[in-house]
Amino acid sequence: MKPPLLAQALLFAAAGPSEAEYIAGDLEEEFAIIREAGGRAAARRWYSWQVARSVCALLQLRIRSGELTQAVLIASLCVAAPLLLLDRLWRFVYSQIPLKDGLHRAPEYLIFNALCVCTCAAALGAWAASTWASSRSPGSKSRALALAFAAVIAVLIALWASAASAPAGYIVTLSLAVPASALLTFAWRRSR
Amino acid sequence: MKWVLWIGGGLIGVIALACVILLVLGHRATAGRTTVSADINASPAQVWQWLDEPGKLKQWISWVVEVRTPNGSAAPGVGAKRVIVMKDENNGGMPMEVEGVYTRYQPPTEMDLAMSTPGAFEGTETYRLTDLGNGRTHFEVDGRFHYAMWTAQLFEPLITPAAQKKMDGDVSRLKSLVEAGPSAAR
Repeated sequence: MKPPLLAQALLFAAAGPSEAEYIAGDLEEEFAIIREAGGRAAARRWYSWQVARSVCALLQLRIRSGELTQAVLIASLCVAAPLLLLDRLWRFVYSQIPLKDGLHRAPEYLIFNALCVCTCAAALGAWAASTWASSRSPGSKSRALALAFAAVIAVLIALWASAASAPAGYIVTLSLAVPASALLTFAWRRSR
Repeated sequence: MKWVLWIGGGLIGVIALACVILLVLGHRATAGRTTVSADINASPAQVWQWLDEPGKLKQWISWVVEVRTPNGSAAPGVGAKRVIVMKDENNGGMPMEVEGVYTRYQPPTEMDLAMSTPGAFEGTETYRLTDLGNGRTHFEVDGRFHYAMWTAQLFEPLITPAAQKKMDGDVSRLKSLVEAGPSAAR
């Protein structure tokens, strides 16, 4: 019985290859003990909670060490910048309506935003594959996960900074589709 | 470096293609035109009040904060002016003034306005009310606008459909308000 996959991926994305192995090893030992004592569901809950409460501190450490700076900068450039630019464009379009309009964007604009950002995220994944995976270094997967995680954060920050109101479905779609695009392209490019 | 060139070239290509498409679409026959019509269960005189009275205009045209008659302007009639002040949420909540000059005023059936915001747009908006009998009215609005800025002219194929949606929503609100009125459909 293994710990939750998503929590494990989050741990590897946040901690980096050097730290993640040690932390994951410790957590898995505790996970096995809790599973014996309290059952599978309790152990999975405990593991997820431990990862969730450690993510911010681990990311902080990693950014301070400079290991994540590049990923954060590139993710911001590739994901947040296009979203903010598109927001500026739609604001301009709506401000030109003769009798003005509010901040609710038409669904087709949101779909266009999502397609553009996913394309940018795919380019990000391809770039990561060509830069990090060419050497087949063992840390490239963890770096790609970190990049995907940074892309999600960049999406959320861009949506928060945007003037327009974003429906919950749109936020969830972007939060899932952007890292998925980056990781799938990364895996595809790496396999070639 | 190869990736940067690919991504940069791709972006420039996409932007150039989008500009060409927008330029072509900007020359269609219905460019800058918005039309809405609705059958309202009220007499033309009842609907007319909602087009004429500032307090009522604010209720059905969204984002209007004030409707005023400039100093010295006569009561509604050909040549008179009315200024609609709108809150532009897409421009940091800035108030935007849209000036309208009546070019036709025949209560309760016809009203034409020459509308403009300096540096933004100019155009005409015509309102037609046709009595269908039995306390019903066919209401039509036809707006034709031309944008002053070249960027707005370029993005006209995006602006006009958004303006159409806004107008659809406003007229739908007008219909609900008029029909909910105490003396509607009598």
